[in-house]
Amino acid sequence: MNSVLSKQSRTKRGIWIAVFIVIAFVQLFPLIWLIDFSLCKSNDLFTSGILVWPEEIQWVNYFLAFRDGHFLHYLGNSLLINTLAVALVILISVMASFACTRMHWKLKNVVAVIMVMGMMIPIHATLLPNYVIYDRLKLTDTIWALLIPYVAFSLPQGYFLTSGFMASIPRELEEAALIDGCGVYRVVFIIIMPLMKASIATVDLNNWNEFMMATTYLSSDKWKTLPFCILEFTGQYSSNYAVQFAVMALSAAPALIVYIFLNKYITKGVALGAVKG
Amino acid sequence: MKKLYSNKGIIFSLVAPGLFMFTVAILAPILLSIYYSFTNYSGIGDYWFIGIENYTTQFHDSVFWRALKNSLFLAIGFICIQHPLAVFVAVKLDKLQGKAEGIFRCIFFIPNVISVAVIAYLWKFIYNPNFGLLQKILEFFGYQGTINPLGSGTAIWAVLVVLIWHGFGWGMLIYYTGVKNIDPVMYEAAAIDGASGTSTFFRITLPMLKPIIQINVTMAIISALKQMETVYLLTDGGPGNETQFMASYLYKQAFSSYKYGYGNAISVIFILICLLANVILQKVFQEREAQEV
Repeated sequence: MNSVLSKQSRTKRGIWIAVFIVIAFVQLFPLIWLIDFSLCKSNDLFTSGILVWPEEIQWVNYFLAFRDGHFLHYLGNSLLINTLAVALVILISVMASFACTRMHWKLKNVVAVIMVMGMMIPIHATLLPNYVIYDRLKLTDTIWALLIPYVAFSLPQGYFLTSGFMASIPRELEEAALIDGCGVYRVVFIIIMPLMKASIATVDLNNWNEFMMATTYLSSDKWKTLPFCILEFTGQYSSNYAVQFAVMALSAAPALIVYIFLNKYITKGVALGAVKG
Repeated sequence: MKKLYSNKGIIFSLVAPGLFMFTVAILAPILLSIYYSFTNYSGIGDYWFIGIENYTTQFHDSVFWRALKNSLFLAIGFICIQHPLAVFVAVKLDKLQGKAEGIFRCIFFIPNVISVAVIAYLWKFIYNPNFGLLQKILEFFGYQGTINPLGSGTAIWAVLVVLIWHGFGWGMLIYYTGVKNIDPVMYEAAAIDGASGTSTFFRITLPMLKPIIQINVTMAIISALKQMETVYLLTDGGPGNETQFMASYLYKQAFSSYKYGYGNAISVIFILICLLANVILQKVFQEREAQEV
């Protein structure tokens, strides 16, 4: 009886693994196709096969993508802007969620609602007025034109995560610090803040890939971020498809590599953020 | 301590930066949008107030209604195709155990970490009628003609496919977390009572997942309303205005047709629709919960 059951469940398991392989194949195949042709000559695209085995791997595509796509410039901008944005989001949301969850005052629920209001406002509805505002304040084409909206629209999520996490920090910890003569600021910045680091990593994914605001508020290349590696590049090499493929693969690589290494944390963060949200 | 924790100065200094960001980046632009929505501003030069003309134009603008219909189409597509699949995969993935479970979970999520810019350009190539992947796959199976998914009639389906492919891992992951949170004791009890796999799924798993399903459905509808970036790069609202969405349409009106005032009127209605959708969905789900209790 037992062996029959286990045999049956083993075939079932086999079927499900087969189904998952099919889904994984569908999810990955476009990317495999992309990488395959990024290593070929452009003409190879017009051959009949679905995938092509390159006679000679065309690393030159990646060289051109790297050099003429200004990969390092855009990557540097992305890293700088996103690091600053995340740091500011953590700082501001920890401060606000501490005040709204731990301290005693009348309007704290109102402020808490305002902090998460941004979640309901469609980000693209602010494109037109923000453009005029930044234009009048002479902020277009500066780093502020990206930082301000990136921070503002990540704050609701940051507030959710930090206020949820705040509940799990024992009050005794800060009470002891207060009795020892610490001020509220020191409690927030020295005791609470370091405990929050882990919960915030996911806030960033949206901004890393954002290009709509960047394309609207920036005119020169100076502060443009990684997505522009592709957007600015395709015109230059409009007929050289293989190099375009290389630039796509190249600009997708940083996030992909980080994801593969940190996949456990990111998975957890996504789930946490979504369930709380 | 109580005194320290009700110090108004300290409280104000802690919440001021957050409120400042909200005011500067969200509230001020919305107010400005309302202001411009009553004008005929083109983006440059003089303008004057024209009352509610922009709003009446919008009411009679077939493209605006088209954009709403497209959002509805996406929402239905997400709810009827993407989410049932995601729930099913999440439940089965949970039972897989071992190393394979982690590997598949990781792979399913991969399209999600790739930026919309790459995704949109990649799928433009995939859909290319001359050398695209889709065309080649069809040829491989003996198809003779050429297809152009981004052409008239099929473009909105082509967009839906890309979005389902891109967002599948996200939805799946959230359901998967929900499945993981179900107490295994429930399954054991069901097994002892002799429940079959199917009835366990419908009687235990699905009801336990209800809060997560509600969150995911809400997010699917909101994201269908907010759709812009993929469409902006993949089809730019075309052919004609077949794949136009509210966000892409207001952008086009303001920056390509130089109807900045009109674009802002669409922005205002767009915000109201999103707020309304949030409120309605919350109400619907709350009421259903109340009924069941």
